[in-house]
Formats: sequence, C-alpha cells, structure tokens
Amino acid sequence: MKDVVREIVSIVADVAGLDEEEVTLDARLVDDLDIDSVKAIEIAVAVEKRFGVRVKDEDLPNLTTVGDIINLTETLVRELEDEKVGV
Amino acid sequence: MRRSGYEYDVVVVGAGIGGLVCGTYLAKQGMKVLVLEQHFKPGGYCTSFRRGPFHFDAAAHSFGSYREDGNMRYVMRELGLEGKCNIKKYDPCDRIILPDGEVSFYAEVDRTVDEICTLFPDEHTGIKALFGFLINSKPVEFAALRRVTLLELFNRYFVNKKVETLFALPVLGNGALPPSLISAFTGTKILREFILDGGYYPDGSMQHLPDTLIRHLKQYGGEVSFRSLVRRIMVKDGKVWGVRLDSKDVITTRYVVWNADVRQLFLHVLPRKWLKRETVERVKSLKPSLSTFILYLGIGEPPPALPEPGTNIWFLPYYDLERAYRYACSGEINRVEGFMVRISPDKKTILAFVNAPYKTPAYWRQNKERLMNDFIDRIDRNVIPGLKNHILHKEAATPFTLYRYTLNHRGAAYGWASTPSQLFTPEVRQRGPVDGLYLTGHWTAQTQGIPGVAYMGLDTARMILKRENRKL
Repeated sequence: MKDVVREIVSIVADVAGLDEEEVTLDARLVDDLDIDSVKAIEIAVAVEKRFGVRVKDEDLPNLTTVGDIINLTETLVRELEDEKVGV
Repeated sequence: MRRSGYEYDVVVVGAGIGGLVCGTYLAKQGMKVLVLEQHFKPGGYCTSFRRGPFHFDAAAHSFGSYREDGNMRYVMRELGLEGKCNIKKYDPCDRIILPDGEVSFYAEVDRTVDEICTLFPDEHTGIKALFGFLINSKPVEFAALRRVTLLELFNRYFVNKKVETLFALPVLGNGALPPSLISAFTGTKILREFILDGGYYPDGSMQHLPDTLIRHLKQYGGEVSFRSLVRRIMVKDGKVWGVRLDSKDVITTRYVVWNADVRQLFLHVLPRKWLKRETVERVKSLKPSLSTFILYLGIGEPPPALPEPGTNIWFLPYYDLERAYRYACSGEINRVEGFMVRISPDKKTILAFVNAPYKTPAYWRQNKERLMNDFIDRIDRNVIPGLKNHILHKEAATPFTLYRYTLNHRGAAYGWASTPSQLFTPEVRQRGPVDGLYLTGHWTAQTQGIPGVAYMGLDTARMILKRENRKL
C-alpha cells in the first residue's frame, strides 16, 4: 500500500498548493494545511478518480489528518479488491 | 521579492472582487502586482452606474457572510480593510412572498423561525431542525452533502412542498437552479451565508467595495490597467512568463492569476500545447449557470406603499420552482413570473431581476422593451402598488449585457451550474495546468457570490505566497 501513501500525499499537496515534502502524515488538514470544506471535497473527488473507490459522504467529517485519509483509502482499496475476487 | 527580468511578480486578469482581493493581498505582502481589466471600471458584477440623479447597482446589490466570524469579514480583516468601507446590515435582509403568505429573514433567527412555523405549523419540527443544521454545522459537514441535491436534503426535513419552496426560492435566485438540480452543498451555503447572514451593503453603492480594494492595492504599490484585454498567456518550458494584450503589448510576469471566464482560458488564451486533450474536452462539456435579466428603475416621490429599503423581496405566484426554472431556461421569455425586487437604501432606485437564458442581441432588441414593461406591471400588481406612476427612469440589462461587460460565457451569473455532477471538477481548480498560473473567482472550484470569490481570492493569494516562500 506504499502507492496509496505516495498518491495521497501528492493529491493533498496539489489541492493545498504545497510541496509534497511539506505534507506529513500527522499534518492536520484544517489547522496545518488550510484544508477548507471545498478543498476537502476536492481531495475526496481526486481520491475517487485515482483509486476508483467511492468515499462515503458521512466519512468526510471524521478525517482530521493526512494519515486518516490514507487509512480510509487503504480500507476502501482493500474492500474494492475483495469485491473483485468475490469475497 | 521581485526577480530581475520580469516587469511584475503577478499579473491578475480580471478586476472582479476575487481578483482585487488576491492582488491587494499579494501587494500588501510586498509583491509587485498589476491588475488587468477589459472593462473601464473595477468590480465585475459588483459595479454601479449613474443615470442623471440616480445611482444604480449593476448586478450584485448586497452581500452576506459579514458576521463576526463570517468569511467576508475575515477577508476584509486580513486585508486591513475592516472599517474602511462603511458596511451596513439591512434587517430583514430577505422577504419571501408566496401565495399563502409571507416570511422575513431577520437578524434575529428565532423571529424568522416563528414566522415560518406560524405559516406552516405542521412542519415546525423539520423547520427547527433545518435551522439547527444550517447554523450549527461545521464546514466539513456541508462537504458531506456533495452528492445530494437540495431537494433530497429538504426531503429529510419536510413533507409539505410549500416549505421547500420558501427556502428554495432565494436559492434559485442566488444559485440559478431549482432544488431538484442544485447541489445541497451549494444550496445550504447560500441559505447559511447569504440568507441567514445577508443584507450587507457598503454605504452609498456596491462600487465602494471594488473602489476601496483598488485604493489599497495602489497604496501597496500595485497597479491597475483598464480596457486591457488579455489574449494570450505566454508559457515557456511549462512555466508562465507573461501575457499578451489585445493591443499586442506583452507584459512579463512570474505569476498569472486568472480571475475571468475559465472556458476562454482553456479554449483560447492558454496555448493548447500545455493542455491535456481530456481537460479541454471536460471544460467544453461543463454547463454554465443561467444568466439574469435585470430591471433598473429610478423613482421620484416614493409610492405610499413602498416596502422597506435594503430588503431583497422575492415573489412567486405559485409553488412549483421546477416550473419557474424551466420557464427561465426556455427560449421564449416574454413574461415575468417569479422575481426579486429591492428598493435602494436611498429610496431613489429599484433593482429587480429574473433568471434568464442567453439570447442574441437581436432577440433582446425585439423583446427587451416588452419584457421590461411586463416586469414593471408584475411588480406594481404584486409588491409595490402604484409604482407605475412614480417611474422617472427605466432601463434593463439583458444576459447579453452581462456578457458584454464581463465576458462571462453566455452571461452566466454564477460561474458553472452548481449541480452535484459538476461540483469540484478537478480541471478547474486554483492551481492551473502550468507552473505559475493560478485560477480564482466564480469559475473556479465551487464558490458563490461576493463572500465566496473574496475568500477564494485570498486563498489563491496564499497559495502563491506559499510557493514563493519555498523558492527563497
């Protein structure tokens, strides 16, 4: 899932207008990265497009750090793979 | 901060509120800024004009989100402009007139809730719950509404369609879509930011807002040039280096902030070489919002039954907003059904508008006069009895007028149509497709009205400053 970490950091950096090095896993979305509600949705849309997953609307308010987005994406990607093999 | 070899650090294209906020903030931080505007005055849709003794606001006629922790107040504070522009709140900011009665939106929310509950007693639980949601939710909770329409959200609160219409009518006016099509994200933002916290007006005219911004831009060493249309953004090795004007003049700059029609940018202004084909196709496929037909009336001695000045009064003779929208979209617009009307604070002028489709100048030459007279009839009959006998000056702006002054695609009033499927299109984000190019304003991401573009202008400025700090 290393790919997920790299991709999420790249997505968040792009939306926040930062360099990837500045986006640490424990960075807080609102307090450290100025991610407002509009940018939160931009990130969700980018994650969906990149990984082909569907981010549930009710999960958005629970995402506080970059690490939270990574965890959620990893879970969603795993669920998607499980679906594909018919688990 | 200026690098040798470039005339400017930043060129801002478009002197609407988003561009002016962005440019003024960057100038305040020490960057050398030039704002280019194709029109002869600043403001975009936030301008005013004079006809003899009458001063008219051209389109924007009040704004919201200026409470203590509102976004507009925040932007003005960050620019050091709080108190520099005498801003007054008109209360009630909005009044809705429906077949069964009317409701006002007051600064005192409980009073508004009481009025609505009196009109629709069976729905009082849902009404209170919706107000609770609008007032208490954190921004990210609105983000959770990105896939649903406003109608789907309303269905969680109400049974009676009439209550939905009450809330959705000012949303149709401020967002140009009916509840079945507008995203709940945008719809709830309009309600929370413009209706529950609306009615603000810079003393005298809306023009004071852009004029104040320009004055401060200049104080910080920034420059502005009117009648300057940008035809080309110059790019080398994937990085912006300048802009070429209609006059063929080239101005060199390290950053370009595009605060204008994004369709023009992607289809004509930015060399195609730097764009992915799918980006161009996507931008071509996006639908703009509807335009508006705006009526301006100068009145002499005010009619005796003049409503309170400064309040946006919304009128609809039925409850079917889908019908009102279909009518606005239809080719033939030869009568006025629902509309908004507002008496200016000086009680000398009246601004009224309806959503309207984009039509050719020839169409408006044939139909404008008739539509204007029908509009005056409707206002006289439904909101201001006796108005007709007090008019000293009348004129109207058509969707083509809006296009001509702003070059917004099809005279769009609010950028892209705010449907859930167009919400947050990645292709039109603030960071542009080439290095040094940033987008801001109502064609970018999803933002609404003066507070929305002001906030985004500031945010775009901060993105540039972050980039600048990294380079040092």
